[in-house]
Amino acid sequence: MALAMIVGACGGEYPNSTFNHTTEFNASIDTLFDKLMFWGTLVFIAVEVALVYVIVRFRRRPNAADPKPVHGNTTLEILWTAIPAVILIFIAIPTVRTIFATQAKAAPDALQIEVVGHQWWWEFRYPEYGITTANEIYLPKGRTVNFALTTVDVLHSFWVPQLGGKRDLITNKTNYLWFTPNADIQTDAFNGFCAEYCGSSHANMKFRVYTVEPDEFERWAQHQARPAVFPVQAAVPVVPSGAGVALVQDSASAMPMAGDTAAAATAPAVDGYWFPREQLPAHVIPTTRLPKGLTFDESLLAQGDAERGRELYSRSSCIGCHAIKGNPMSVSNVGPNLTHVATRHTIASGLYQNDAKHLALWIKNAPAMKPGSLMPTIGIGERDAVRKNTISAAMGGLTDAQIADIVAYLQALK
Amino acid sequence: MATLVAAPPYTSTATESANTGLWSWLTTVDHKRIGVLYLITALVFFVIGGLEAFLIRAQLAVPNGQVLSADMYNQLFTMHGTTMVFLAIMPLSAAFFNFLIPLQIGARDVAFPRLNAFSYWVYLLGGIFITVPIFFSVAPDGGWFGYAPLSTKQFSPQINMDFWVLGLQILGISSLAAAFNFITTIINMRAPGMHLMRMPIFTWMSFVVQFLVALAFPVITIALVFLQFDRFFGTNFYAIGAGADPLLWQHLFWVFGHPEVYILILPAFGLVSEVLPTFSRKPLFGYPVMVYSGILIGFLGFGVWAHHMFSVGMGPIADAVFSLTTMLIAIPTGVKIFNWLATMWDGQLRFTVAMKFGVALVGMFTIGGISGVMHSSPPADLQQTDTYFIVAHFHYVLFGGSMFGLFAGLYYYFPKITGRFMSESLGNWHFWLSLIGMNLTFFPMHFSGLLGMPRRTYQYDAGQGIEVFNMLSTIGTLVLMLGTLFGLINLWKSWKSGERASSNPWGAPTIEWTIPSPPPEHNFDELPKITSRYPLWDLKGTVIAKETTYAEEAGRVQLSAKQLGIPMPNPSIMPLITAAGVIFMFSGMLFTDSNMKLAVGIMIAGAVWWIAGLYNWLLTPLEDAH
Amino acid sequence: MTATTLPAAGDAAHGHGHHYTTLGLDNRKIAIWTFIGSECMLFASLISTYLVYKGRSIKGPFPHEPWTDPVSGKAFPAILDIPVTSASTFVLLMSSFAMVLALAAVQNKNLPKVTLGEKILGSSKLWLWMTCLMGTAFLGFQAFEFTAFIREGLSIRTNLFGSSFFTLTGFHGAHVAVGVCWLFSLLAIDYKRGLQPSDATNVDIAALYWHFVDVIWIVIFTLVYLIK
Repeated sequence: MALAMIVGACGGEYPNSTFNHTTEFNASIDTLFDKLMFWGTLVFIAVEVALVYVIVRFRRRPNAADPKPVHGNTTLEILWTAIPAVILIFIAIPTVRTIFATQAKAAPDALQIEVVGHQWWWEFRYPEYGITTANEIYLPKGRTVNFALTTVDVLHSFWVPQLGGKRDLITNKTNYLWFTPNADIQTDAFNGFCAEYCGSSHANMKFRVYTVEPDEFERWAQHQARPAVFPVQAAVPVVPSGAGVALVQDSASAMPMAGDTAAAATAPAVDGYWFPREQLPAHVIPTTRLPKGLTFDESLLAQGDAERGRELYSRSSCIGCHAIKGNPMSVSNVGPNLTHVATRHTIASGLYQNDAKHLALWIKNAPAMKPGSLMPTIGIGERDAVRKNTISAAMGGLTDAQIADIVAYLQALK
Repeated sequence: MATLVAAPPYTSTATESANTGLWSWLTTVDHKRIGVLYLITALVFFVIGGLEAFLIRAQLAVPNGQVLSADMYNQLFTMHGTTMVFLAIMPLSAAFFNFLIPLQIGARDVAFPRLNAFSYWVYLLGGIFITVPIFFSVAPDGGWFGYAPLSTKQFSPQINMDFWVLGLQILGISSLAAAFNFITTIINMRAPGMHLMRMPIFTWMSFVVQFLVALAFPVITIALVFLQFDRFFGTNFYAIGAGADPLLWQHLFWVFGHPEVYILILPAFGLVSEVLPTFSRKPLFGYPVMVYSGILIGFLGFGVWAHHMFSVGMGPIADAVFSLTTMLIAIPTGVKIFNWLATMWDGQLRFTVAMKFGVALVGMFTIGGISGVMHSSPPADLQQTDTYFIVAHFHYVLFGGSMFGLFAGLYYYFPKITGRFMSESLGNWHFWLSLIGMNLTFFPMHFSGLLGMPRRTYQYDAGQGIEVFNMLSTIGTLVLMLGTLFGLINLWKSWKSGERASSNPWGAPTIEWTIPSPPPEHNFDELPKITSRYPLWDLKGTVIAKETTYAEEAGRVQLSAKQLGIPMPNPSIMPLITAAGVIFMFSGMLFTDSNMKLAVGIMIAGAVWWIAGLYNWLLTPLEDAH
Repeated sequence: MTATTLPAAGDAAHGHGHHYTTLGLDNRKIAIWTFIGSECMLFASLISTYLVYKGRSIKGPFPHEPWTDPVSGKAFPAILDIPVTSASTFVLLMSSFAMVLALAAVQNKNLPKVTLGEKILGSSKLWLWMTCLMGTAFLGFQAFEFTAFIREGLSIRTNLFGSSFFTLTGFHGAHVAVGVCWLFSLLAIDYKRGLQPSDATNVDIAALYWHFVDVIWIVIFTLVYLIK
């Protein structure tokens, strides 16, 4: 048992393992766990060996005399009250120490991140940088990060098993959680989960954490703090293409659109940083199946026009919930902030890859893609499972071609 | 003063015709028959809860499972937990409380026989009330713990959680009524000489449990009243917009919820403490310590509730205090394990199926206990809570502990309940498949949890290193279901045509084994006089009662209560009528959103109904004048 | 086999008319004490909730201090009216006193009563009526209090104070109402066939319940009304 658990410690095969020392927080938890495991295994072996011995040794034999009716033995009973008590002292002392060490106030120079839980996605704010983003966190290696956790609706729990323990998001209360990703951390992309049951799509409330070098982090942050770069420049230097089919599709739809745009040549260059898509480890690439019966004519995606998309987006129901810095019509913060949505690798809170196809399907019928989704269905003729209605043009529904335009616009938001 | 020798065991006479048939079951106030009703009803709910678990596991067998929708999954895990806790394990324990406590303390019935019937009917009807919605996909979906604010109208506007709130209120009435009844019974109905420290250990553990029920259930009642008022009348207890603190619910829920854990496990501990001595042919090792540790567990159980809340951010001091109190509970629990081992040590162990389940409890509960200590340490718990590690932990406690203990009790007391043995061969299938199945199901969950799988998730991504563990758990569920099937077949066949059992087929030491199997309606012809803890075992150590056979007892005649002139309580339909009125009244609340007039009408009609039933009941004497 | 015989307790355990009990007490008495223990936890939960939510309401009106609605500009006085509630508390306390006399009257029903004082003290009907009337008066006070609060702008939906206050005092009021019904039922029996000393246990458990409800009110009055 212990051996198998140690196997679990070495990350690779178990990408969300809790046994590792990637942060000082997790290191202290794991050290404590080892102590618990040691004493637990000791007691386990002692009891089970005694039990098996008793079963084998004292099996009833025919015609045996009745056993001596022993009613108790004070010495023995004191002994096996005292031994567990002593073992518990060995556990209790490091426990209390670790409680106070890990729940102390974070260092004052720690990077502050405000985490806001929503049904069922994560809002992340970097107040020092003026960044509001969603479902993906960038952390500089070697710097302590202090999360301030709140929620706008029900309870959630913020958990990145590889980086530390979880902490709940409690309504009308702010909780804190801090840790320092090691400077020499090996893996760079981690899965985060909601660990407190929060309704229909609790299972789908995931996020990603990228630990990057401090200079990369600065470039990322500076870029994210700026308004959306639109229209985009033809060449997108930082995102190399070629990481699988999805990405090819991605580039195929984005490139011609960018080239067609007249203003492209004068647009500012995208010099920011985001985690290179082709370096994403397999465990952060979602495998969620698409809902049955939901389709999108993918040939339309290539014809999507970002400018038409922007215009359409800016007068559709999208702006009722989403904000895009740089688009004066889009300032609502009910849903995820989309300013740099194209720099993110997943959509729908870690549920699907962020590519043209998934974006299109998502816009067309979000509740079908993610049960209970508060984002309404938009595709004409689609059934909204949450609001129990069928979308028509009169209700502001969009055709596949229109959705393709919006996809083009969103994919341009690097 | 008669020094009558309490009747040697007999074959009972044919039951009087008035005592059979459906009407006799609906009106029965006999604690033994009510115990049987509890047993059968609880087993039906156990099967329903098990099928819910099977669907959950089918969905999780592979990544991105397609068996269930998210909403159906959420309803199923909510109902699995609610069903197993409130409708299966607690009532299975209640079956033994009912059947055994009066027999073990030498009483003719419980203190309030009609109240006892009322408890059962409320449980049955409340169980149906809360279970039926799952067949219409409108079952509660907020978790068995119903955390606010998710369970409030703002976030759960549908009728689903209404069933849960009202259903738990109804079931609480049943548990509380039973608790008052059994506390009174144990305090005041013990036969002469049955001092507290001579009581059989099962009765002792039950005694502790009744206090836990009496003191813990009012707390959840209030938590539910708040939720009910929030949902139906728009109060603000959990209304986040009004500044409410969602932790209020958690504190109230767990002040109830942790004692509830001991409500679920202590009866099983009690049963095992009866089974192990009998089949080891040795008295329970350290009886006083077993009693005191049970009391201590119950007492400390009220001081540890916040260990369910280490991740909510209570601050280091609260975390440390609740961590230490939780660790303290491990000491009396450990003592029980060691005393069981010492009971068997140097004994003459006979491995009947009952004994196997009892021994397996010691082995399996130990695993659950150790993982329990692991999350008593808050920093470690932050990596464990709300993951499958916790699911593994409490299933070792509740399946490996409670259910195994209850199965041990079932195989052990079945001859006393029915006068027939359960089949040992079918029982062996039941036992071994259950043991293998539960380990296969729940052991891998330790890994899936620590490798990062959160609880209550209806799907998970491929490539997360947890596929194999989930597949093992699902296969284990199939084995477990097969084992349970053997158990049910065994129960059915043995009840109909099992081998006949004598009054004391196991050579057991306590007084319930002095009377015929099944016992006559009045239990004891004369109240026995108790002079020792194990009246049937000579305590000097020379003679221990041997197993008796049906053949050697054949031909003896058991007189009926009427023949003996013993006044027995009259059957009454009023408990059932009153219970139905209570349920009717509660169900009126379901309509408050759709049709307020109808809702109020039903509630008033229900109230008049049950109050009329209650007055009729109270104004009718329990027995004929004599 | 012979080991399965037990001595019987004999006549002592099988007296006539009464069932044997271990403590010699009536079962109903033990049950009511158990019930009261359980009720303590019920009220403890209600009272703690009230105290936890004290001062957490984000808008008024408040129990002990006036409040002006920043939106409408409407001014609300401090809600609780201590003099009126002191009066109702006194009435409830006195009802407990009457209850004691009612129980004594039932227990001593068969004693000869000569003087007027003895006749008055020995009238179970009189004292049950007094208890019932004072209990009803308390409920009247509460109804008055509730309507006054609602008129002043505090309902069960207004804020955390309103929810926890009305639920706590409402639960207590419901307990008083149950007690009044119980006592009226006893009174009905008294008129029908006269309560006898053999009924004393039935009156006794009603009295225990009544005193408990009374004591709980003292706690509520102190914690909710008197402590600011």
